Amino acid sequence: MKFIKAFRDLTISPKRTILVVFALVLGIWGVGTVLVSYVILTKDLNANYQSTTPTQVIFHSEKFDQLDLAQFNKRPEVETSELRDFSIHRIEVYPNVWIPLWLYGVESFDKFNLARVFYENGSKTPEPGSILIERDCKRVSNLKIGSIPRVRVGGKIENIKVSGICFDPAQAPATQDAFVYSYTDKKTYSQITGMPSNQRLIVRLRNVHSADDVKNVSEILKKDFNAKGISITSIEVPRFNEHPHQWQLNTLLFLIGTIGFLAFIMGAVLVSQLMRSIMANQVRQIGILKAVGGSQFKIFQIYIAMLLLMGLTSGLIAVPLSVLSGNAFSYFVAGKLNFNILTTSLPISIYIYLIAASLFLPLILSISILYKGTKISVKKALSDYGITQNIYSREYKLLKKLTGSNTFILAIRNSLRNSKRLTVTILSMAFGVAIFSTGFNVRQSLWNLLSGLKNEMRYDVQVVLNAPISKEDALKNFKYLNNVTKAETWVGGRGELQSKVVSTEKGAGIIALPRNSELLKLRIRDGRWLLPTNDFEVVLNQQASETYKNPKIGSFIKMTVGNKSVNAKVVGITEQFERPKIYVDIKQYDSIFNPDHLVNSIIFVAKDNEYKKVIALKKDIEKAIAGSDLKVLYVMSQAERVKIIYDHLNIILTTVVFLSLLVLIVSAVGMASATGINIWERTREIGVMRAIGATPKKIYSLFVMEGMIISVMSIVIGLILAYPLSQLAAIFFGQLMLGKEAILEYAFSPLGFGITLAVTIIFGWLASRIPARSAVEIPTHKALSYE
Amino acid sequence: MTTEMNNLILTLQDVSKEFQSKERKFIALKNINLKIEKGEYLAITGKSGSGKSTLLNMITGIDHPTSGIINFNGNSINKLSETKLAKWRGENIGIVFQFFQLIPTLTIKENLLLAMEFVNVIPKSDRLKRINDLLQQVGIAEHATKMPSSLSGGEQQRAAIARALANNPEIIVADEPTGNLDSKTADSINTLFSSLANSGKTVIVVTHDKNSTAKYHRIVNLLDGEIESQTIQNK
Repeated sequence: MKFIKAFRDLTISPKRTILVVFALVLGIWGVGTVLVSYVILTKDLNANYQSTTPTQVIFHSEKFDQLDLAQFNKRPEVETSELRDFSIHRIEVYPNVWIPLWLYGVESFDKFNLARVFYENGSKTPEPGSILIERDCKRVSNLKIGSIPRVRVGGKIENIKVSGICFDPAQAPATQDAFVYSYTDKKTYSQITGMPSNQRLIVRLRNVHSADDVKNVSEILKKDFNAKGISITSIEVPRFNEHPHQWQLNTLLFLIGTIGFLAFIMGAVLVSQLMRSIMANQVRQIGILKAVGGSQFKIFQIYIAMLLLMGLTSGLIAVPLSVLSGNAFSYFVAGKLNFNILTTSLPISIYIYLIAASLFLPLILSISILYKGTKISVKKALSDYGITQNIYSREYKLLKKLTGSNTFILAIRNSLRNSKRLTVTILSMAFGVAIFSTGFNVRQSLWNLLSGLKNEMRYDVQVVLNAPISKEDALKNFKYLNNVTKAETWVGGRGELQSKVVSTEKGAGIIALPRNSELLKLRIRDGRWLLPTNDFEVVLNQQASETYKNPKIGSFIKMTVGNKSVNAKVVGITEQFERPKIYVDIKQYDSIFNPDHLVNSIIFVAKDNEYKKVIALKKDIEKAIAGSDLKVLYVMSQAERVKIIYDHLNIILTTVVFLSLLVLIVSAVGMASATGINIWERTREIGVMRAIGATPKKIYSLFVMEGMIISVMSIVIGLILAYPLSQLAAIFFGQLMLGKEAILEYAFSPLGFGITLAVTIIFGWLASRIPARSAVEIPTHKALSYE
Repeated sequence: MTTEMNNLILTLQDVSKEFQSKERKFIALKNINLKIEKGEYLAITGKSGSGKSTLLNMITGIDHPTSGIINFNGNSINKLSETKLAKWRGENIGIVFQFFQLIPTLTIKENLLLAMEFVNVIPKSDRLKRINDLLQQVGIAEHATKMPSSLSGGEQQRAAIARALANNPEIIVADEPTGNLDSKTADSINTLFSSLANSGKTVIVVTHDKNSTAKYHRIVNLLDGEIESQTIQNK
């Protein structure tokens, strides 16, 4: 009988029931989506990465022909190893558009012991003289099976067929770095590159649990190699057991986790508000039930049954939606980060959690409201007749001096009528506004970071060579370029590839440039830029600072390049979205490490740096390179570089704004429900107003005005809240993307402010308009007889 | 045009009201014919469920009849839109409820002002003076700036009467206005209605209070949705 009453009560006011169920669905859906995508993404990116049996350390030597690999693999420290060749060239992906080509020489395509790539399409083993390309490369090129693109290796150009597509989940997405990853057999590798094979040993170790463990074991192996006459030129230790773009996923998971939590809170607020309203509307019924002998506990059970029914309905809607949207989001992220979704079925526990949340979430949130509601005395309950007489006095005193039309005063006082509800409504809406605004501010901070790149690097095109050469040889091919006002030669430059050419023993890239160069003006976070002193001065970027364990300004670090070392004085730390880099005056660098004054970067400043002119200059440079014997790693314009960095951040920027919009929508729904509750509770009052001559239009205006008052208060509080929240978010995202010590500078987004204002006002208006419309649709006699 | 016609303010011709539920049809009013004159002090009585409130809803335009015609000053109000009805009601009918139904977020003065603002027939410059006069008339001028919750039941009902008079309507309709008051307070409210009728207002009161019926000009008794009897008393 209790269930029947509960069910019938729910059907009496279907709109209200729908709103409660909608609120619950929203909360559970938000939490469910996060839970589902969290389970899938955390497991699958790692599973994809681990499925390759990733390399833990890479040794470089010209003497690996002396190595007995079978014997080496029997060492207790070694799980498995392979001589996997690797070099970087250039490939023409569209007519006259060249991007870096990563070429691997693989021992066997049939049996991978480590650094596995997976067959996707075409030849499983590349046909002799051909390459396989990684599937994500199709998004940055027009390459397909059967294409014969031009590949520039050193000074020569070759036509190399693409015979198959493979999948390498251990690589960073090609779309974000604008690389083409390719794989071929060792014979073809040597034919294409003209380089000796077997100079790079990739190894997977036993019983290592951290990068430090790997480094320690690597040092032992290195000593043993040296003892056997195999001199190791360098050792690379990739991030331990971590996909190169794990940071992006971490950021996304944090984001969706936060949003899911917010959705949960908002849903919770909605449900408790609506239950409060239902209880308020059923006061007389409760009195009657008590009058006919119902105990508080028995009446309490009716409302528990009501909640369970609504929870069950919400669960039946929200759980499949959560699974769908969680999967969709996972596929979206997997597409962006180039990995496969491996999860085919979710653990049963997820469904149990979601169903339990559907059933018990509303119960837990509303239990105190139900208890208080059912505790009311029979006398009090039966004397409830619609218009609440309990009116504040404090707020009234504050507002007594308020002037304006009576409708306006009424709207303001009505807004302040239920101070608890008003606080909850305004805070949740303000929170939505704050999150939405913060989303834009963080986006602005990141955008400023990107814009800062243009100011930092005041050049237009950079040519990076595979190996250092003399300054004269580097420049001689570019004498006749038209649109060039200045050219400088450096050692090193931006980007990961640069670091592969010249870097310290810890993998930090070197950028040696004229100390007083006008072409690089970095933002110094701590300390200063390089000055002419007797010390060997260096400026570190944030990630290099982390690599060298955050040295203090004025302290010295031991910097080793090749077989030479120097104690370098750290004079400054810069803010950069960049791999670890160390800046040093080229004269000082040459005096220690580069006695032949070789360079590997040629920096061009265009006379006319309009985008099309810079691209034309880049094409002229490509032509000049085509007619030279320069071994070029890549040619890149600033605009392209900014785009690459933007692409790295874009997924996060988009998610930030999209998810913060969702929070705002949930907040607006919260506001609509609060306004709806206000209207339900005042249905009789509406009838009275109609009876004394208020037209439907006037009542409609009154409620819209009330909604707008709440919106305006929420906007003001939300925007104030957004300031500290944006600062915290900037610190968090800065550390996640730039390094632990990094601080992304807070930025105010005027566009975001405008959009927040417009969206909140529109949502506020809609949130008031919908319940206000239903208010005026109630016939006067029904409004007057409403209980 | 006869004198009687000239003096009529409200006429109900064959007014019926049916409520249809899924299970059954309920006839609340059956062919009601009623003529109400200007300045008349009319009581509508009857047992619970006899149709008193439904009849009041018809008179005030709060609900529409299923059939029949309601004329106010010779013009039918049957086909007025909700907006026009609200305006008509505001200008011509003042309603007093059993539970006062003052807007709790407004002071007494503001409650009256709101009614004036809704209808907009009293010039803005005259409103405050009129409110003061009306509150004087009902005897609660000193409570003008108080919230309804700080007033007694009788005082709230006086405020509700003042609000009903705010736009100077021709008809005052009261639905059991003394039903929630003690006998002494009820007497004073009834006297107030009586004085309003004496001043030329048409006052229609739904009441259970048999003690108060002596002062009415006419008593219409309803039974099962029909006029069972009409008693005309001395004016």
